[in-house]
Amino acid sequence: MKTSLLLHATALATLSMPAFAGTLRYAEDQAPGIVNPIFSTSMPETRLNELIFEGLYTDNQELMSVPCLAESAEVSEDRTEMLIHLRQDVSWHDGERFTAQDVVFTIEAMKDRNTLSPELGRVSWIKKAEIVDDYTVKLRFDRPEARPEDKLLFKILPAHGFDGTTVKRTDSFRNNPIGTGPYRLVRYNDDNSISMERWLDHRNPAHLDQITMREVSDKNYQAKLLVYESLESLVRVLPRDLAVLQNNRKVELYPYQTNSWWYLGFNLNEEPYNNIDFRRAIAHLVDVDTLLAPIGTGDILTGPYVKSSPFYNHDVPEWTHDPDLAAMYLEQAGFTMEGDQWMDGDEPLRITITAHQALESSQEVVINLQSQLQSAGIQVDVGFLDEATWKARVWRERDFELILSQWTFDRNEDILDQFHKGGSRNFTGFSNADVDKLLELARETTDPQEKKTSLREAHRIIHDELPMVFLWTLDSYAALSTRVGSVVIHPFYFFTYVGDWTMD
Amino acid sequence: MPTEPQNDTTALAHGIDSPMSPVVATPFSGPPELPPSSLPLRSILGLFLAMGKPLVSFTLTLLGALLLVQLLLWAAPGDPVDLVPNGESMRSALEQEWGLDKSPARRYWSFVTRALRGDLGYSLTFRPGAQVLSLMTPAALRSLQVLLPALVLVMPMGLGLAWFTAGHTRLSRRPIQALSVTPVFLMAFMVVHLANETTFTLMEAGRISRPDWFALPDTDSWLKLLLSILILAVGSGSLAEVHAACENEIRRVRNSTFLDAAKARGASVWPHLLPNLVGPLSAVASSRVVFLMGGLIIVEKVMHLNGVGAMLWQACLMRDYPVALGITVLAAATVAGTRLLADILRVAVDPRLREIP
Repeated sequence: MKTSLLLHATALATLSMPAFAGTLRYAEDQAPGIVNPIFSTSMPETRLNELIFEGLYTDNQELMSVPCLAESAEVSEDRTEMLIHLRQDVSWHDGERFTAQDVVFTIEAMKDRNTLSPELGRVSWIKKAEIVDDYTVKLRFDRPEARPEDKLLFKILPAHGFDGTTVKRTDSFRNNPIGTGPYRLVRYNDDNSISMERWLDHRNPAHLDQITMREVSDKNYQAKLLVYESLESLVRVLPRDLAVLQNNRKVELYPYQTNSWWYLGFNLNEEPYNNIDFRRAIAHLVDVDTLLAPIGTGDILTGPYVKSSPFYNHDVPEWTHDPDLAAMYLEQAGFTMEGDQWMDGDEPLRITITAHQALESSQEVVINLQSQLQSAGIQVDVGFLDEATWKARVWRERDFELILSQWTFDRNEDILDQFHKGGSRNFTGFSNADVDKLLELARETTDPQEKKTSLREAHRIIHDELPMVFLWTLDSYAALSTRVGSVVIHPFYFFTYVGDWTMD
Repeated sequence: MPTEPQNDTTALAHGIDSPMSPVVATPFSGPPELPPSSLPLRSILGLFLAMGKPLVSFTLTLLGALLLVQLLLWAAPGDPVDLVPNGESMRSALEQEWGLDKSPARRYWSFVTRALRGDLGYSLTFRPGAQVLSLMTPAALRSLQVLLPALVLVMPMGLGLAWFTAGHTRLSRRPIQALSVTPVFLMAFMVVHLANETTFTLMEAGRISRPDWFALPDTDSWLKLLLSILILAVGSGSLAEVHAACENEIRRVRNSTFLDAAKARGASVWPHLLPNLVGPLSAVASSRVVFLMGGLIIVEKVMHLNGVGAMLWQACLMRDYPVALGITVLAAATVAGTRLLADILRVAVDPRLREIP
């Protein structure tokens, strides 16, 4: 009788579980170096963290913040304090209970100067985190916060996995991560791949049995592997592979919009780039449509936001491709035309365009741009830099003339670092007091309308001042095997909704 | 360590031909006996003296390679801090933690002293926090699975082909050179593409079911390993050079006087031929190791073999100094060690090299 009841119970339990099946293999061009969210330095690491860890809040499919490890929250009237009630049905991958101690530990560890976390900025706005009880946390902010939940997406770490709040890269956690996410890391394989299996004790167990991250360093080969059915998912399809995959009956393409845009940045500390007329001339010489066509489709932009952003100023006009107007601006900037060549005094006008060699399709764009400018009478040298050289030359030493690059933002689209006089990523050297005030206001205000108005105005000024020629945002496509169903992709973290994915 | 033969009769009697030895058609009469008292002590002392210089060379090669790579990394633009997001705000603290605030000379000395204790430090950017030794060891074993068989394979391949072509015109070398001159990356791409596309077409047509190894080079399989070994052994001129060196040696030995003497006595030529080939072949093998290791980086990248070559490539790109230096030590030790081994082998088979001047 007892056995019969037990079998019956097991059968019921099995019926109530979702249908689990399959292993999803996805490709990254570089395997994550470390699996610890507070030391993440790359998108492959960010995507892996999305599978293994969870934050207090997450994005729903409309990209609005909704509670994840948090259950509910109350923000004080002056918006400087937040009381967060945590879920009580969450356990870590090692079986320990998730509590308020973990939340406070994570914030303190990231803020600990000895941790040296590159993610420090994500919690620097939190003045203090306190444990109220096992499942309640109180956060105090430096200044009033309009929507603090939008900033509470960072991943929570287990306090019991560390000694003290100083977290080190060398801690064994780096390759034995413990999270609360839908998947737990099972092993690192010899071929640099990482195997994960679904966390059975998760409150909403995922449908896919296993997920494997495969390192395929040759991006050109990733699409082939999908066609060969050696992979089930590509995070981003190269434009040249789109046609092949579109015609493959075993592959489905999923378009998604990223907050990512391309630009040509001027070094405003160098001549002649500090001359607005010269910058205007370049802006009128660049035929953006022609540059975009060979590398894919997308929206041509006039400022530092994508067109779907609430901060994009649709009243700002594009810089038209107009060689005559460009010639006028070049003359105003003091250059003279001799034959078919622009002269800088006695020397031909010569500029150097530098691009990051890892930027997809950058070679095509730079070569076409070189051709456009040379046919207009400007001699152009080009250079491609690896990541370390790029960071040293462009970011640190500001040793460049004109760069081709792109910025990618999370949902907050905070451009202060790029365009504020004191911004840590303002390597063009842009400085405008009005823009500084508008960006500061946008960060501090609790009024969404005021934020929107400020940033749209900042967009207009930046467009007119032209520290960079804004180019485009590319349409992005993920490709998945048709065996994978119910696919919804997060434009930044990719795997946010992976729990709902199914497989035949 | 080549030294001039002191006893021509001994040299000839052992079947060792040398450009320094006079061409004397002395009948082959087997090795003469040395005075008993001189044998063990003189041999040990001779061996010690003969090996002294290679050992010094081994150590200097290691230190020199380490210094060179340290200088190259130091001179390359960018550093590990540049690769950390928001790294500039933590630059001084990170430089201190990672020892980058020290002068290159102090860094070099610090690395050497720690390496002598078996501590190669930890990775900064490639696998942040991981011990270099624990990263390197499995990767080195995977590399060895390709490097060693490739080296072992290319020698008999070269020798075998040389045996047949040595007596023929130079034209007979051409097919071997044409195949071998193909760069390893091109050869690997071609092999992978051909194997995958052919198999995929057959699979789509329903002619075959999906093989275990499909698709190259993504799936680990015996075929992937075998192809990697073959490509490394043959490509980038490896086979052509070994073949040419073997062919020259075979020609030289075939024309030597002691072989004529052996033939005149009706004795088998093999006991005289093979010891004569050991020296030159070990020299060729030791010289090929450097080139094979260069090719290994490319083969590992193209064939997705997660060995030290691919790791070194990535470590240099990511300015991960400890990982790059650790692999340099290993690579230099392999090259210098092979050279040392070749010297030992030559000293072992050539008694003249053990003579005390």
